[in-house]
Amino acid sequence: MLDTFEILSTSGVVLWSRTYVPVHSYVINSLIREVLIEERTNKVAYGDGTTKPTYRKDGYIMKWNLAKDVGLIFVAVYQSLVHLTWIDKLIDNVSALFTGLYGEQLKGEIDTVKFPFDPYFDREMQRVEASNDASMSSAFEVTSNPEFTPPSSSGTDHGAEEPPPMPGLRKAPQKPIYNPDTSTDATPVPTPDTSRPSTPASRILTGKTRPGGKPSRRDRKVKAAVNSAPASSGDETSARKGKAGGKQKKNRVWNEFGADEEDNTINLDYSTVSANDPADFELPDAINPESWGRTTGKGQFVLKDLDEEMDEIIASVNAKKENSTAAGGIVGSSLGAIGGLFRNVVGGKTLTKEDLEKPLKGMEDHLLKKNVAREAAVRLCDSVERDLIGLKTNSFTTIESTLRTAMERALTKILTPTSSLDLLREITTVTATNRPYVLSIVGVNGVGKSTNLSKIAFFLLQNHHRVLIAAADTFRSGAVEQLRVHVRNLKELSKREGGEVDIFEKGYGKDAANIAADAVTFAKENKYDVVLIDTAGRRHNDARLMSSLEKFAKLAKPDKILMVGEALVGSDAVAQARNFNNSFGAGRGLDGFVISKCDTVGDMVGTLVSMVHATGIPVVFLGVGQHYADLRGLNVGSVCRLLMS
Amino acid sequence: MAWHDADSWLTLAFAPHPGTLALALLVVITLPILLHAYIYRRRAPDSLPTFLLIGPSSAGKTSLLTLLSHGTPSATHTSSTPTAASLALPITTTPASSRYRSNNDPSADRARKFRLLDTPGHGKLRHYALSTLAKTGPGGALKGIIFVLDAAALGEDAGAAEAGEYLHDILLLLQKRHTGNKTSKGPTAIPVLVAANKMDLFTALPESLVKIRLEKAVEEVRKTRGRALKDSGIELSAGDGEEEEREGLADGYEGAFNFKMLEDSDIEVKVAGGSVKGDKGEGADVQEWWGWVGEQL
Repeated sequence: MLDTFEILSTSGVVLWSRTYVPVHSYVINSLIREVLIEERTNKVAYGDGTTKPTYRKDGYIMKWNLAKDVGLIFVAVYQSLVHLTWIDKLIDNVSALFTGLYGEQLKGEIDTVKFPFDPYFDREMQRVEASNDASMSSAFEVTSNPEFTPPSSSGTDHGAEEPPPMPGLRKAPQKPIYNPDTSTDATPVPTPDTSRPSTPASRILTGKTRPGGKPSRRDRKVKAAVNSAPASSGDETSARKGKAGGKQKKNRVWNEFGADEEDNTINLDYSTVSANDPADFELPDAINPESWGRTTGKGQFVLKDLDEEMDEIIASVNAKKENSTAAGGIVGSSLGAIGGLFRNVVGGKTLTKEDLEKPLKGMEDHLLKKNVAREAAVRLCDSVERDLIGLKTNSFTTIESTLRTAMERALTKILTPTSSLDLLREITTVTATNRPYVLSIVGVNGVGKSTNLSKIAFFLLQNHHRVLIAAADTFRSGAVEQLRVHVRNLKELSKREGGEVDIFEKGYGKDAANIAADAVTFAKENKYDVVLIDTAGRRHNDARLMSSLEKFAKLAKPDKILMVGEALVGSDAVAQARNFNNSFGAGRGLDGFVISKCDTVGDMVGTLVSMVHATGIPVVFLGVGQHYADLRGLNVGSVCRLLMS
Repeated sequence: MAWHDADSWLTLAFAPHPGTLALALLVVITLPILLHAYIYRRRAPDSLPTFLLIGPSSAGKTSLLTLLSHGTPSATHTSSTPTAASLALPITTTPASSRYRSNNDPSADRARKFRLLDTPGHGKLRHYALSTLAKTGPGGALKGIIFVLDAAALGEDAGAAEAGEYLHDILLLLQKRHTGNKTSKGPTAIPVLVAANKMDLFTALPESLVKIRLEKAVEEVRKTRGRALKDSGIELSAGDGEEEEREGLADGYEGAFNFKMLEDSDIEVKVAGGSVKGDKGEGADVQEWWGWVGEQL
């Protein structure tokens, strides 16, 4: 069942939450980190368009909704073993409700307000569940009807009320019992739940106290109903009684629901719920009878449900949404057009999809011209669009400039690495444990694997490390000889610096993974600091060639696997990065990219974005020339500037 | 009656008619007021002294913000956007600027107010904090930086490395702000408070150790940065050919890094312990941090 529902602001503050089973906060934290910040799309299972995307973590499933305009995240967490079909609806309704109710307060600086959202959530939960049940069995639709229908006899009332719709017990054979029409005097279903208060006692109108001792909110309501309509005939009493019963039943549904079998601490006991939950109590106290009910012409008192209010709010929020999408008609009139034009210059315009369409198209073309792969460009534009819709432009900024800054921010976010990329530091940490640091390089044919490997070796030698280069490219003729030449040159260059470099080779035709593993053992015995493993180039869409990488990762156990991609490649960059990232078996992926030949593309550095965007893996090095020293770290700011220029 | 007639509205408008004078006077008086109201309506909060909350993820920045703004820390998750809150010093702390003021002085309230800016600590989102810092001019409203860190996580290598790296970047920016200064009068100093949070935890390091660990971590970053590759900034933005000199943190000094080396650049670093959530029974312990904020106001 639902474990936790939380409403939090994007700044991280939990505004409201409902916990049925405590979930450690790292679960939601990882959702925010991996999905919302790092945008790792491979961790998210997207629905078929009608359902929300899901994210799994440690046996939990999370579904969420982002309300960008007010900066809220609505997250529902539940065990991945259960299948809840109504979660999407619940999240949608709750987001509409919450933004509708507290939209004004949310605009403040920081949300110091406590949100008395509990009753609304409870009702919504029941309704969603009930409508779900109704769709499963049409006979059950009485509960889903917010209007109370007077029962034909008190017997039906009992029947309708007795069986608690325990989630665990909601099975097909029990369905008929719920039906008030067919079972006039149903026997209570034997449930494992024993602490449930006996129904007849709780239904007595004088508001008998519950076993827990404290009167529940429902009792108070019933009491208030009696007090506010003192002159009542027997008929009315029974009607009201029925009403109270109907109310009770819904609440019962709720409470039993909370009382999951695994969870005997929360919500099982009425009294503890009321005691723990002051907001639940304050609401009925604060509301005077007129606001929650009205007296009909006959003197009957009709409860005005939260339902009505909630329906109104949801409807108004939805209507607003439709209005904003249909605003084109109004803006189409000349006055609106002039106003829109003016707003565009002066700022303060609320952005809609139509406003953004043209500039976004332009932005996409611009990115494509910068050699960003189409897939990445489209997704970047989409995410920027999602960010911007519903936002107000600042004063004296046009839509275009707003879009520009948003895109720059998105690019910065993508290219900035999550954790430090300090290679030297990692090497120091690893070598302190008496084993060599293993770095291997993979990539498509001819992108410059060996060249970049020797550049990295040169960089490490300058920092006085002992480097062993393993020639694990046993396939292409000349590969070993090429590395030998590199090593000879590097030896010459590093003689004065104090570094030391050697080659580990076993000739051609051998298994690359074994050579790599041997090289690591050899390095360990001879106290090398770093092992650099060169591999054969392979086409990323050739499953036969790629499959050997998995064995390679298992045997050599590299600390870091870098993939070399050339900046010249176009839209193939996405597929290359993705295929290589997935080829090392479960639990192992690439650790970074080396983008070579950056000096040949000028400002068309889109490949960087494509590769990082496809995998969420950072760019570690850039190759910017032919010399050993032409290796650079990535400067995110300058790359963004180049891309946006 | 045509417009050029002696008693037409146009003639009246230019004649020294009392009504015209009154109207002109009204316009002259109200227009500046209206303009002022329109333009400066939203400007007011900017002039409040500002403090920047910076630190690695899950150190307790947002919790601290909620604690300071409404007394109790709320439950929080990883932040993805920055947020700000207007706060006032508690009665028990006196801001440095009103040391000599009477407690009953009504204008003392104004001196207590300040703005706290919370920034996300996630690696990808640090540009919010860094760009705010980079934008601050020589005499900005930024009065100080509160670098929050998890004193318990500092005991582990990974935690120390992350905190050290972030702190290094911040300090380097501050130092660049000082060295890049063009005028003879230096920019207003931005002091740094290292707020060692979660002191209530058993594994938390005490204040003195926090300082030593942090200095060591910054030293490591400083060492590797000095030897690391140049970044691609110059090569890629081709044309200007301007070889930018790389500036390291506390360049002129020999030996291991310590916070005293930064005093030349007018950066004062203070380490103070505290806890936002507090021990189970007792409340939060942020008195020392409040005191520091009071000194800067």
